Amino acid sequence: MAAASGNPTKETLVLMKIIVDVMGGDSPCTTLAQGALHAATAYGVEILLVGDEQALEPVLKNAPASVSVWNAPSFVTMEDDHYAVRTTKADSSMVQALRLLAEGKGDAVVSAGNTGALITAATLYVKRIRGVRRAALAPILPTTTGTGALLIDCGANVECTPEYLLQFGIIGHFYAQKLMHKEIPSVGLLNVGTEDTKGDSLRLAAFDLLKKADEQGILRFIGNIEGRDVLSGQVDVIVADGFSGNVLLKSIEGTALFFLQEVKTALLSSYRSKLGALLAKKSLSKLKEKMNYRKVGGSPLVGIAAPVIKAHGSADAETMQSAIAQAIAYAKGEIISAIEQNIAAIKTTD
Amino acid sequence: MVFEKVRSIISDQFGVDEDTITLDTSFKEDLNADSLDMVEVIMALEEEFDIGEIEEDAVNNIETVGDAVAFISNLV
Repeated sequence: MAAASGNPTKETLVLMKIIVDVMGGDSPCTTLAQGALHAATAYGVEILLVGDEQALEPVLKNAPASVSVWNAPSFVTMEDDHYAVRTTKADSSMVQALRLLAEGKGDAVVSAGNTGALITAATLYVKRIRGVRRAALAPILPTTTGTGALLIDCGANVECTPEYLLQFGIIGHFYAQKLMHKEIPSVGLLNVGTEDTKGDSLRLAAFDLLKKADEQGILRFIGNIEGRDVLSGQVDVIVADGFSGNVLLKSIEGTALFFLQEVKTALLSSYRSKLGALLAKKSLSKLKEKMNYRKVGGSPLVGIAAPVIKAHGSADAETMQSAIAQAIAYAKGEIISAIEQNIAAIKTTD
Repeated sequence: MVFEKVRSIISDQFGVDEDTITLDTSFKEDLNADSLDMVEVIMALEEEFDIGEIEEDAVNNIETVGDAVAFISNLV
């Protein structure tokens, strides 16, 4: 699904260095490296590819001088246990990329590898922002208003406490302020109804904490929001536990694909409809582009002490380039420093 | 001394006051620790006490702060 934020410009990003783990995704490392090379040229950033140097050789022949390689042939597979990043895969490309980030050798990490392993490795090696209990995956969903809506969490934390959800709301508030340029973002809690009394014990307790945070002036909580309203643009930040958020995100992606396929089938069903499709081709292309998740690239791991972007596991070169653009925007957005500076507020309501 | 250091690490990791942490504090029951929390704590302890990598089996036997203190005390 397409995000609301734009691509970075060359002029302002000369010194930024993005560390790219090119191993462990569904696509070959050479494909992901191609996307990174395009990003180096398009955005004027340095790129450090972390992966199998020998396998990357064909791609590196035409690489600009701003691209270098850190040899790391071992990688985390999609089947590996998350905690392998501490044991059998402690030397993997993912862990080495994150260690480089922790040592200050780059400004952000992008990886299309195993999501659970990336969350675990980022937490263990880059660490959480002091005071933040859990990192969360937070993509920006497109909305009918064009402003976008931040969904936090969409899968990092399958099991949550009310305090986690409160922190997601506060972190989301800063994210929306810094990256979505919302002065006072609205925060809603994903639930099965809009009434205050709806939901299970987790939602009820989280509702009370978010309401209290609103009363304290920490964020602007507008109450519960139902799944069907998240794309309407009536709320800037949607707070969810990772399980519900992931089900919502995948449902939206599936519905978008279904809808586009049905439109295509209908438009090709007769001579008259084909003629209509021809006339509407430009508008339909725009719609398709808006729903193209490859343009987003991935999702930041918010709450981690340095920028880490999880690209889609099925990322291709285009997705990787988009994820790098996202990493640049996230690193420039000063979200991490905003959270660090306001951590006292987060603790106050804990 | 070991207890004070362990308590400080736990306070930092879980965002709770040091005064509320005793030897009887249960990671799971009192601090709502999950497996990721435990690995974070263990890695912080390894670093603080410079004791190398703690084996998985040993990690699984640490249920309370007292268990962690006793384990570390045997190594340092």
